[in-house]
Amino acid sequence: MAASAADVRSALSIPEPSSTPGPSQPKKTAAPPTRKPEGISRELYSLIGPSAPSLAAQLAKPRLKQKPNLGGGGKVKWECRAFKNPGRQDSLELKHWVKATTEPDAEYPFAKYNVQPTAYTYSQDEYTRFLEDKEWTKEETDYLFSVVRDYDARWYIVHDRYEYPGGVPRQLEDLKDRYYSVCRKLVRNRPWAGDEASKAALISSFQFDKERELTRKKYIVSLENRTPEQIAEEEALYIEIKRLEQNERRFKKERDELLRTIAGIDSGLPDVVEDEMVMNLTIDTKKKKRGSMAMDIDSPSTPAMPSSAPIPKRPQTAKNTAFDVANCIVRTEPPSTVPITKAAHQPAHLRSYKLPVPKAATSQKIGQALTELGINHTRLVMPTRQNIAHLEALLDAAAALVETKRVVDKVDYDIKLAKTRLGMREGQGAEGEAPAAPAESMEVDESNDIGEPVGEDGRAQSVVSTRSARSRKHTRRSMSISSVDTSGTAATRTKRQKRS
Amino acid sequence: MVNYGGDEVSALVVDIGTSSLRAGYAGDDTPKAIIPTSYGCHISPAEEDVAMDVEGGDATAPKKSAKMYIGQSGPSMWRSGMEVRNPMSSTDGLIHDFNAIPPLIEHALVDVMRCVPSEHPILVTEPAWNTPANRERMAEIMFEEFQVPAFYIANTGVLNAFAAGRGTALVIDVGKTMASVTPVVDGFVLRKGLTYSTLPSLVHLHARHVLLSPTSMRRGIDLIPHQLIASKMPVDVNAPPRYTLREDRVVGTTESWRQWAEAREVDEWVQSVGGILEQGWNDQLAASRPPRPYEFPTGYNTYFGIERLQVGEQFFYYSPAMVNSNPNLPKNLPQLITETLRSCDAELRQVLAGNVVLTGGGTLFTGFVDRLATELNRTFPHAKIHAPGNPIERRYGGWLGGSILASLGTFHQLWISKEEWQEHGKAIVGQRCK
Repeated sequence: MAASAADVRSALSIPEPSSTPGPSQPKKTAAPPTRKPEGISRELYSLIGPSAPSLAAQLAKPRLKQKPNLGGGGKVKWECRAFKNPGRQDSLELKHWVKATTEPDAEYPFAKYNVQPTAYTYSQDEYTRFLEDKEWTKEETDYLFSVVRDYDARWYIVHDRYEYPGGVPRQLEDLKDRYYSVCRKLVRNRPWAGDEASKAALISSFQFDKERELTRKKYIVSLENRTPEQIAEEEALYIEIKRLEQNERRFKKERDELLRTIAGIDSGLPDVVEDEMVMNLTIDTKKKKRGSMAMDIDSPSTPAMPSSAPIPKRPQTAKNTAFDVANCIVRTEPPSTVPITKAAHQPAHLRSYKLPVPKAATSQKIGQALTELGINHTRLVMPTRQNIAHLEALLDAAAALVETKRVVDKVDYDIKLAKTRLGMREGQGAEGEAPAAPAESMEVDESNDIGEPVGEDGRAQSVVSTRSARSRKHTRRSMSISSVDTSGTAATRTKRQKRS
Repeated sequence: MVNYGGDEVSALVVDIGTSSLRAGYAGDDTPKAIIPTSYGCHISPAEEDVAMDVEGGDATAPKKSAKMYIGQSGPSMWRSGMEVRNPMSSTDGLIHDFNAIPPLIEHALVDVMRCVPSEHPILVTEPAWNTPANRERMAEIMFEEFQVPAFYIANTGVLNAFAAGRGTALVIDVGKTMASVTPVVDGFVLRKGLTYSTLPSLVHLHARHVLLSPTSMRRGIDLIPHQLIASKMPVDVNAPPRYTLREDRVVGTTESWRQWAEAREVDEWVQSVGGILEQGWNDQLAASRPPRPYEFPTGYNTYFGIERLQVGEQFFYYSPAMVNSNPNLPKNLPQLITETLRSCDAELRQVLAGNVVLTGGGTLFTGFVDRLATELNRTFPHAKIHAPGNPIERRYGGWLGGSILASLGTFHQLWISKEEWQEHGKAIVGQRCK
């Protein structure tokens, strides 16, 4: 039960507060009923009161998103109205619905699509003067022109519907030829109002080469009549010729490069370009013939290899060379094998950043060999041009050495293996009856070893003595440069190495 | 509005086929009225005699006074002594009985669509091989009997191409009695390349033969329609049916009604279980297809395996034995297509093969489109088939094309108006509708 302030007062007999409130009571001001200004939300107004900036209230007038104005706005009145089609000769009036606002006597909107192609006609006089043809009578020519007019020169239809009573059967090309030749003659022989150019253009639009059309049709038919085998063969030939062309291109490029590096001349370049063009041409005709068959392996439209483009090179004149020598300028040739792209570009750099390093596959062995010789190749104190060249030569030599060593070791091992086997066989021969199977397997092993000595290690080890296997391991491990002699001495050599 | 090329003049489109007559407003996507073309009628004996005397003429059909039963409850309802007729010829798919045409059209337009024909221009369809006499007769019916303000008759081949959105197409139309291949170029039919045959009738006969002839698995099947069955009991698969006939009806059933009803049973069976192998006939493949169950109105039910695929195979391939036994087989589809393309210009062949439009209810067989693609791709690797997936569009492509054509603003200058008809007579039809 909640006691109100009046209850408390009455209980404590405190006099009713008069119009002057106590200090704890907030002064109630009978605020004049100020109207909330437009454009300001009720919540905001209760917070900031009437002191709201009047300007802001006027500026930010919130409203709902405007409805899109979809034209018109308001009702559109439609009427069912009869209309006349100017394309018709009769008085037929059909009815359609139109907006009431459209003009009642406006032209029918579809009338503009009713365009008639110009039809050529000729008089009897013109016919006898220019158009006589021993293949065609005037009546048949008239008939042809009427059919062409009826079907708006849609030639397939004209040919389909062409049935001249008593006439010889005519091909589509015959009809076209006659029609166009008559039109040409008419245009040529009639007085022409316009200029000569437009007349020539009109005549050329009536140009028709019957023989050519017939040949073209014949080609289409022959193309259609290919058997699947013929098509497959043609395809194979096409791919073959593509391959040959590619090979030739590569060969030309290599030859070019060779000439450039050896003789320093830019020869054959125009030759290559010309060749490309010719080749593109042949491919284009091929493509045209094959239609849209999407089976060419590479698009011929791509320009020839950018690498074969001429490399901008300063001519090496004597003066230049002298200047270079005097100023210690060394020009480096950009690598010509890689195409000139952004990735292949070499920016200016310190020579010490580009010290030659041995190839990753053999770097360890080369490192070992060089350490054995007491050469430290990782830190070049003075990376001058000559030093770097020397280092490169050294690394090359070391790589060659390691390679030679590997081959020698292998051959040695093979010899040793063969010898061991020979010894075993002799021993077996002494024993007399040897089991056939092992001998056979050994033979197989031997032949295999000769053929592929590395791949057959496992099987060879199972037959030969453990000792040789172990020695082989040693040889493999010891990469001593001087150990070019047989692996029999390998053990001692390794010991010495350890000592040193 | 002009942008879309449409201008509605509330034209009507009427498309008459062997199985159904479609009618509706131009501009719609579906016909409003689809009624069977077959109709039932009662013929008094006197009239029948007259009809027999002038066999072959127009008089075989009943006079207008004879009671005709048209529409959904027409032939399908059993009536004592009711004959069933179809105005379309079963040998060439053309209208051969024009007396029945006005009542049929009137039923569709007035009774079903509830519109007044004399207020609307009407576009009627015709097969590409329609005779000039036939189309003139149709124009006469429209102008004289229905008093239409304007009339046009358009070719179904062209309309099917239009329905597919093409001006140039090779339209393959398989209907109820006729299969046709129509080359359409720039909105005109190449008449020299047009081929057609009664292939669907043969497929129907084959299916009927399959059902009626007994096999090692089952006896021949009784094709008794449900209208003649009083009661039946459920039976096991392949068990002989247990049903009782409505003896009261058997007496009054006419031969033509029975044939119509049996043909319908066969069609229902074909439409339910029939299929086509997509990659050509292969006994193993056919045997591996799951058999489908089917129950006949008698209650007899069984599974159909290879037989159901053999039915559709007739569209594409005849066995040599079949060819030897009857030399006058209608041409099957590959033959029709080859013949059509051979008679077309070499330049057109690739274009047509790339625009094949498949239409007609007969093409709704399972696997039909795939099989056709297989057959076409042998000779034309770039052949492309347009076959609407929507069965309504596939079956009523001709009507749909008519609906499009008759609602085009540029078309309205082609209508043959009543005035022109009265002035020029029949000749105007051949002149205007090329």
